[in-house]
Amino acid sequence: MIGWDVIGAWLCAAMVVWIYSFVYRDNVFYKIAEHMFVGTAAGYSIALALDSLNRVLVSPAVRSPHTFWSASWHYVIPAILGVLMFTKYSKKYYWLARYAVAVNIAVGSGLALRTVPIANIVRQITATIVPLWGSDPVKTLNNWILVLITLGGLTYFIFTTFPKKAEGVKPSLTYLVYRGLYYIGIYGMMVGFGALFANTIMTRVGFLISVYLIYIQPQALASAIAAVLTAAAIILGILRKR
Amino acid sequence: MSGVSYIEKILGSRELLYTLLLLSVILPIIHPLGIPIEVSKRTRDVYSYIETNLRQECHVYIEVYYEVAARGELEPNLIALTKHLFDKNCKIVYGSLSAFGVIAFSLFRSMASDLFEDKVYGRDYVYLGYIAGGEAAAASLARSIKGTISVDNFGNRLEDLPLMKEVDKATDFNLVVIASSGTDVFAYYVRQWHTPYNVPLLFAALSVIAPSIEPFVGAKQAVGMLVGQRSAAEYEVLVGRLGLGIASMDAQSTSHMLIVAFIGIGNILYWGKRLSSRRGGGK
Amino acid sequence: MSLVARRYTPQIIVTIIILLSIAFYYLYINRDVAGAFSTADKALSDWAVIITSFALIVGGIDILRFHLTKVRKEGLKQAPFSLVSIGLLVTMVIFALIGWYISYSNPAAGIAITTQPQFRWLYLNLYAPADAAVYSILVFYIASASYRAFRVRNPMALLLLVTALIVVFGNTTIGGVVWPGFLPLRDWIMTVPNTAAFRPITIGAGLGTVVLGLRLLTWRETSWMGRRE
Repeated sequence: MIGWDVIGAWLCAAMVVWIYSFVYRDNVFYKIAEHMFVGTAAGYSIALALDSLNRVLVSPAVRSPHTFWSASWHYVIPAILGVLMFTKYSKKYYWLARYAVAVNIAVGSGLALRTVPIANIVRQITATIVPLWGSDPVKTLNNWILVLITLGGLTYFIFTTFPKKAEGVKPSLTYLVYRGLYYIGIYGMMVGFGALFANTIMTRVGFLISVYLIYIQPQALASAIAAVLTAAAIILGILRKR
Repeated sequence: MSGVSYIEKILGSRELLYTLLLLSVILPIIHPLGIPIEVSKRTRDVYSYIETNLRQECHVYIEVYYEVAARGELEPNLIALTKHLFDKNCKIVYGSLSAFGVIAFSLFRSMASDLFEDKVYGRDYVYLGYIAGGEAAAASLARSIKGTISVDNFGNRLEDLPLMKEVDKATDFNLVVIASSGTDVFAYYVRQWHTPYNVPLLFAALSVIAPSIEPFVGAKQAVGMLVGQRSAAEYEVLVGRLGLGIASMDAQSTSHMLIVAFIGIGNILYWGKRLSSRRGGGK
Repeated sequence: MSLVARRYTPQIIVTIIILLSIAFYYLYINRDVAGAFSTADKALSDWAVIITSFALIVGGIDILRFHLTKVRKEGLKQAPFSLVSIGLLVTMVIFALIGWYISYSNPAAGIAITTQPQFRWLYLNLYAPADAAVYSILVFYIASASYRAFRVRNPMALLLLVTALIVVFGNTTIGGVVWPGFLPLRDWIMTVPNTAAFRPITIGAGLGTVVLGLRLLTWRETSWMGRRE
């Protein structure tokens, strides 16, 4: 008797092969796998939302109602607002959903607004204030590179105002400094994007390797059967089009 | 058709490239090349940080925030870090701000079952499960975990778990590890855990997002960063538990070399055509 | 209903909550007030946590409605596929609800929503491999793009390529065999020029968040309200 574990492992391998088959050509097995993915993803998302809701709201209310109603009674408000989100399907009462969205974006924005100026701006600026003269030449050079590329990048992102070069006149010092930093910024970002590109390859290949190691290799037979089925579907699809 | 165009057409066939890519991954796994791995200074620094700064039985919070696809890059990091922390008898609270985290934790737990053999759930480690809300949830947990959720992922009441009697808020943890495939979650923890409470953060990031969160590490908002499969392989060597990280390194090398070769060929053909058309234009 | 209830009240809520959130964090009057602020601040975050859960459910139902419409309108060519999506979505939710019910009716069984056996089987054997495959498929396009689009047309592209090659060799073990200097050079690139390159972007993102917050606060940002009256 084949157990559910074995069926599960076969299904895992088949799902991977069917989805990969898309890179060669669209086919019926890919479409089945794609729709299975969409269905399970949506179902999973709903289930996990219920799970979170249960552990934050329902469980405390049911298991220790006394504590809940004395200390956390206000949870009823977001619960009502949450239920009102379903009014978005109504043509008449759609606007009621806005109340929940308003609370959510305001909390998100408020939380970000109060720490972003420190975390993303002040701490980044203070980390760029580094000594540009010192006894260690390597460290000094690194500090120069850090400061110049950061300033250059910031210069590049100033879209609103920049010094203009007057025709037929020797460019001003401000203009030269601005242009210099602008180019340092661009070239600095090219270095960053080069690193990003290399790391993108690393990640994508890493995904492929892990998928192979985890799902395909342990179930070589199931993968081969799925691959043969897919190949047949692709060939059949091509022949039918002809 | 000229020779260059003919080669370009053959190499430009996506079926050929995809098949070569698959082979470059599969062949070194079947027949490992055994290329030695060197441990980088950055990974060694992370290891040293944990060795020197975390005392026995300290408390660590680990954010498990990655989808199944990112397992190859982040799960080996998570396993190696967990081994290191368990070797130091640290107690770990795992949590997820992503719904994927529940699957990721479940798979991680089964892949690293040996690490959990001697550990007791509730006393040595706890998994909180998925908490919706993103940054708001991070802020809420930082103030009080038990004030945010009442039960863990498995339905146990948090107040009944011995470990949860020892920890509740951000400042109760000696280190927070964020194993994430999303850029935002690093910023959430920097903003809601580090900035207000000064909790030390350690990043375990997907290679592709590492460059963009590097400024946080550079500004000392995190104590260090483990980057993808390479760092995982290095950390596996350091903690002496070889796994998916090290197993992937040969395949990483061959597939990278294939892609580099294709970039090279693409450019040679491009410049060949460009120079020959220039010469042709001059005649 | 008037515009007051439809548009202005939600906007007033946004303004009040943002101002409260900032006040709770920065304002210090005395210890008692600080304690009350902390409790109220936590309550606000928890509200968002609860509302997000409802939003996720709404999102799932949107997908259900999308496929129901497809079944109704697109006929036999699409209907069987959409029915697969609908069937699996409903099945997963039913199993999750069974797990939820058991967690209350029989807590000793140790079953919760995420540990309900059939639900777990479905997400481990259908959702997990599909998710892994869908995301990892990008590797094929990266390889293809590397060959077709990565052309050194100017000095900037050359710099990008050289950096990428150094990092590639630093990332892989074969790089260490070719030249041991690749690994420290990669680390240097990541910690010095790369950090400097992404720092303005981090600062810019921070400024963007602040500006968005100010726009919300001053009612200039209204896209979150969806359709206009």
